[in-house]
Amino acid sequence: MKGIGMRVLSGMIYTCVGIVVAVGMALAASAEELDEVIARGELVWAADQEGGGPHVFLDPKDPGRLTGFEVELAGLVAAELGVKPRFQQGQWDRLPLLLGRAADCVINGIELIPERRRDYHCSRPYFAYSLQLLARRDGPLDSFEKLAAHGPGGRWRVGVLTGSAAEIVMRSRSDLELEVIGYDGTIDSLEQVQSGVLDAAVMDDCIFNFYADRFAGLRMVGRPFGGGLYTILTAHDTPRLSAAIDEALGTIIADGRLKALYDRWDLAGRQQVLTLRDAAEIPMAGRRSLGQLARESLPLLLQAAGMTVLLSCAAFPLAILIGLCVAIGRLHGPAWLRPLLAGYVEVLRGTPLMLQLYAIFFLLPKIGLALPALVAAVAGLALNYSAYESEIYRAGLKAVPLGQFEAALSLGMTKWQALRHVIVPQAVRLVMPPVTNDFIALFKDTSVCSVITVIELTKRYSVLALSTGRIVELAIVTALLYLAMSWPLSLVSRWFEARLEKSP
Amino acid sequence: MIAIEGLSKTRGAVPVLSAVNLAVAEGQVMAIVGPSGGGKSTLLRCLNGLETFDSGAVSIAGHALAPGGHQPGLLERVRRDVGMVFQQFNLFLNMSVLENVAMPPRVVSRVPPEVARERALALLDRVGLASFASARPATLSGGQQQRVAIARALAMQPRVMLFDEPTSALDPAMSAEVLDVIVDLARGGQTMVVVTHDHAFAKRAATNLVELVAGRIARCGPAATVLE
Repeated sequence: MKGIGMRVLSGMIYTCVGIVVAVGMALAASAEELDEVIARGELVWAADQEGGGPHVFLDPKDPGRLTGFEVELAGLVAAELGVKPRFQQGQWDRLPLLLGRAADCVINGIELIPERRRDYHCSRPYFAYSLQLLARRDGPLDSFEKLAAHGPGGRWRVGVLTGSAAEIVMRSRSDLELEVIGYDGTIDSLEQVQSGVLDAAVMDDCIFNFYADRFAGLRMVGRPFGGGLYTILTAHDTPRLSAAIDEALGTIIADGRLKALYDRWDLAGRQQVLTLRDAAEIPMAGRRSLGQLARESLPLLLQAAGMTVLLSCAAFPLAILIGLCVAIGRLHGPAWLRPLLAGYVEVLRGTPLMLQLYAIFFLLPKIGLALPALVAAVAGLALNYSAYESEIYRAGLKAVPLGQFEAALSLGMTKWQALRHVIVPQAVRLVMPPVTNDFIALFKDTSVCSVITVIELTKRYSVLALSTGRIVELAIVTALLYLAMSWPLSLVSRWFEARLEKSP
Repeated sequence: MIAIEGLSKTRGAVPVLSAVNLAVAEGQVMAIVGPSGGGKSTLLRCLNGLETFDSGAVSIAGHALAPGGHQPGLLERVRRDVGMVFQQFNLFLNMSVLENVAMPPRVVSRVPPEVARERALALLDRVGLASFASARPATLSGGQQQRVAIARALAMQPRVMLFDEPTSALDPAMSAEVLDVIVDLARGGQTMVVVTHDHAFAKRAATNLVELVAGRIARCGPAATVLE
């Protein structure tokens, strides 16, 4: 036991050292910077087309084409550098991680906040936004002040874009009675307000202005508040590229092209340019010491690890139960049921878990079935894994010799009694190792649940990494937490296998 | 107790049983002998509905079986009255020896657990295996497993017992201990049908005997006479 423990521990240490070295090499690789961009003839700019309008989105008239005011801005900046723009897709809250590897800069409604200035180079601002509170037209929330007291259903449930300034601002408002829920998609929260799952959403005003027609049932509540500025992010170690982008922006603002661009997009060009000219300097956030980081982050990471355990332990028994029923139904159920169950397995196995979670969380409310995020996550995981478990159990049931079934029947048992008392107990024992294996897989798949606002370990990591800038240190701690939880499961799996090998 | 009239069965285009007629009175022991592939086991399995037949009629322990499928519940009622012992024992591997014998009456006939347990212990004692009650089936020898299988079938207190080559998978010593149990049952007046290759045993235990060749009855009569 001690030997295995030592081996695993040293393996973990090597892995962590490997991560540190790899990250270091990636950071060092972006040394040539501006010359490289010019030699390449392309400025690679990263954004998330899922983020939507008016920033970067697919043209509804030509869905193969990317459009948005930032697409045009990227074109203007690249032209100033004498190169062509090239788009790089990324997930919005992780776009900065692409810098120095897949992208030269990030242009995608990135708010200029102290944490960003600490971790990246922020260009001079190119857009001024305000935050806007949005609620249902027929709902009880008709003024911002109402947020200070409980709503009809307790604390107000307010949706924000994960990692956005709206999230940071709303989470810091301890004076308000809020439950802030982070979404990965920009307009996910609007959908949820419309379907009644949320009381309100907070987002940059320009986004709601753009989508207002689609969400006719929603209204702006109160005046815009807590505004800020968008900036172009570059890596700290590409100072010449950063300076060139700053200079390009200066030129575009001064010669009126930025105003013309914003006017074309109905974004109040003159007001934008006046605001940008007077924009104050944003302070830089301090870097936390390791001790402070541990004190602040560890409790949050442990709490998120608890959510990971909760999701796994709630979803997997359900998956096993459903999977077993499906397997029995396919082998012994009535003839009409078998193709239906086969279809169930194929659909759930053949579509991504993320899509299924999306359907449960975002589409069911449209037909009046709004599930809390945790319930939706457990249901999604259980349904998805039930398809895999059913195949394992089907194999297990078929592996029990036919003679066992005949012997049970010959004693006067019904088919179901034979299954319950004789066949299923043997099948369950046979499939124990692959089922335990799947439990470990599900355990890690819980990270997908962050798309429907459940904050488990991986999500908590990315949020903390963004706010503290300690990407590597937190990655190591997160990986260790995952290992600490999945390793005992591996031991259990091996124990089952050993037991199975010993017994006949 | 058992009446078989004109029983026929084909598998694909191949006839397995052709117009078999057979009667077994209460307390009789009928041995079925004959070459492999002659239809012995199929005939036996038709008697408790593990296999269907194409035409003819079977009456067993007061139940009537018709060709083709059976109405729901009938087979369970038949099998409660007709025990079966298999060539490969087929003890339930997920339970102890005692559970193998005690579980079926409890589950099928709703016998109270304590009664089922007492009955199982008595039956294990009768086949000489009371001391193995808590053992796992896989730790027993083949002969011991087959004796447990007999005790398990008897636990349902069947009116008829069917044996499908009960000693074919056993060496001579183990066969002898199983055959002793069957002979003992025969002396106790249990109605039985035994498919076997063992003529000596047939002569010793059976009252009547049929020889099945290619699905037809080749010879039939009192065991002692037919085997002369």
